[in-house]
Amino acid sequence: MKRTALQGERTRLPQLGDRAFPRLMIAPTLLVMLVLTSYPLLYTLIYSFTDYQYLKGTDAAQFIWLKNYIDLFRNTYFRQAVLNTIKFTLLAVTFEMVLGLLLAVFINSLHRGQKVMRTLVLLPYLLPAVTVALGWRMMLSSNYGILNQMLEGLGLPVFNWFMDTKTAFGTVLLIDVWQNVPFVFLLLYASLQSVPETQYEAARIDGAGVIVQFFRITLPNIKNGLALCALLRTIDTFRLFEKVNILTGGGPAGTTSTITQFLYNNGIKSLKFGFGSAGAIVMTLLVLILSSFYIKRAMK
Amino acid sequence: MKRLFASILALTMSLSLAACGNSGGGDAPQSDAADPAGGAEPTKMTLILRGGTYGDVIKGCLPAFEAEHNVKCEVLDLSFDDLHSKIALNAPNPQGEYDLCMVDGSWMAEFTANGVLADLSELGYSFDEDIIPATTDICMVGDDIYLAPYFGNVTVMLYNKQLIADAGYAPEDIDTFADLKDIAQKTNAAGKKGFLVRGGSGDNIVSDFIPHLLAYGGWVVDENNKPTVDTPAFKAAFENYIELYKLGDTMDKDDIVAAIDSGEAALGQGWPGWYVPAADSAANYTVIPTKLDDNDTAKNTSMYGVWTIGVCENSPNKELAVELLKYLMDPEVQLSTIDAGGVPCRYSCLLDEGVLAKYPHLETVCGALESGVYRPVIEEWAEFTNILGTEMDSVIQGVKSMDQGLADAQRALDELMA
Repeated sequence: MKRTALQGERTRLPQLGDRAFPRLMIAPTLLVMLVLTSYPLLYTLIYSFTDYQYLKGTDAAQFIWLKNYIDLFRNTYFRQAVLNTIKFTLLAVTFEMVLGLLLAVFINSLHRGQKVMRTLVLLPYLLPAVTVALGWRMMLSSNYGILNQMLEGLGLPVFNWFMDTKTAFGTVLLIDVWQNVPFVFLLLYASLQSVPETQYEAARIDGAGVIVQFFRITLPNIKNGLALCALLRTIDTFRLFEKVNILTGGGPAGTTSTITQFLYNNGIKSLKFGFGSAGAIVMTLLVLILSSFYIKRAMK
Repeated sequence: MKRLFASILALTMSLSLAACGNSGGGDAPQSDAADPAGGAEPTKMTLILRGGTYGDVIKGCLPAFEAEHNVKCEVLDLSFDDLHSKIALNAPNPQGEYDLCMVDGSWMAEFTANGVLADLSELGYSFDEDIIPATTDICMVGDDIYLAPYFGNVTVMLYNKQLIADAGYAPEDIDTFADLKDIAQKTNAAGKKGFLVRGGSGDNIVSDFIPHLLAYGGWVVDENNKPTVDTPAFKAAFENYIELYKLGDTMDKDDIVAAIDSGEAALGQGWPGWYVPAADSAANYTVIPTKLDDNDTAKNTSMYGVWTIGVCENSPNKELAVELLKYLMDPEVQLSTIDAGGVPCRYSCLLDEGVLAKYPHLETVCGALESGVYRPVIEEWAEFTNILGTEMDSVIQGVKSMDQGLADAQRALDELMA
């Protein structure tokens, strides 16, 4: 009897239609996304056309249309922040990908101690960004920092790492790369685990060397992992904030200012949420453009 | 079966909702019967304070108040910027999260114009005569009191005792900006850093520079709050400031203190909350010089950065918060904070014989507190310092010329204040 009822259910479900059923299934997810993503995005877009100041409230806000956007692009420090962010993202993602890949290939090739190395390499990524920033700030302090003391001991010149226009950008970049290489390593290491050993054996029989194996077998097999990794790192690096805020505050002379740092200084601290929203929209568009290659690929 | 399940579910949900409803509302009096021990549940109060010595001295005073009033205080220690943002973000809520808040004097205009702070006069608080009168100016709008001056922060000159002695000076001899330059030059020639300027945020840079501007007779706004940064006085002061910077370095607060204390640098401006010198410390404070040279007339060059305390307008425990504020402002309680680094704005505390024997620098601080200068009381001050500090940083780092930087700052500030 039960079996007949269940069979009846099964025959009834397709009656919803081949299109309606999948739509019904993804509806809850879509609803959650709509509430959690589209709603705030829409509000940010609306606020970006107003002079909304948080303490004055939305009632006092006036529509000023494109003025926030015009002010943003007229602001030389915003343009500098955009360029810094793009430069920082390209450099950081490149270094992280190269170093992460090298580490992953190296550790994957180890016959002993893979687990220990894997754990050790992952440690920087497990630390909160704030802890990393404070730790490095102490190590690179121009007074009591261990690095300057070592340089001094060796008779080498010392630097004011975070307050000098020549060193600040590179120092923040180094710290970010140090912390995020393990993330790239982890993803690529997982991809490497899935490359069939038989392909390497066949290549070795055919006389292929290590470099040929790397370019002809390893890279093609992990290209999806590489693309995903590059996308995630690009998005994450583009939003870089904590390290810059703690280490340099965007200075000296705006050389380390990123878009998020600029928005924090000029939109959040002064509570000009209308202006800040315009900056956030510009930033979202830039991230979309930068990640469009991957999104295009994924949509195919 | 279904009905039974639905009934159990409905009952469970009702009980959960009732339980959730009871757990909040710290204001609501709790009945003794609810507490098996027989005492009432302590009321929860939330204090939002500036991290570091400023907030630590308050935390040290809380246990006695908590025991006396049956309250439990939760304290949030925050950085300068986070404190400002959190107080502001909490303000529009009908019932806020915070009871007592610590407020920098420069936020006063913005907060009172937007109803962030409760009127303490209405709640029965008034100043006593022991409080240094000049420190209360920033706390009032007309005759209404909104804040109480808690921590006497005023710019002072930090110096390394040995290095200024090596330059041929005693602390009391440093009374002109020409003396500062002379010491910085001699120290620099000896291979150490002469004078440290503060880098980082725009507010840090502007605050560090203002005493120099005051010495040159300049100011950042005129009597109508029109910006006055592209002026001869500002330019002269800024040129002198950059000359001093070239004899030293730019650093953050912790590095400035460490460098002067360790004998790496001779001079730098600071705030009393940064460093508590004892008689045998390597560093100490003196007042910032009031004259450019011996032929100049003395001016007020110390800038206030008094940390005040107030009650949030939307505090869930307003009356208790005022009680706490009165308790924290009590002369005896304030005297007890000095050993923890506190700097009360009270004559009885700062000029106490026992205190001065232990912390002689507090006499200097008291003098500076009597004649300091407040930052302009304008709603836009946070944005003002951000714009001005950013342009000044560009000039200091050599990215922009002095003329270009000041012209750009003037234009942006004119737009802001229009």
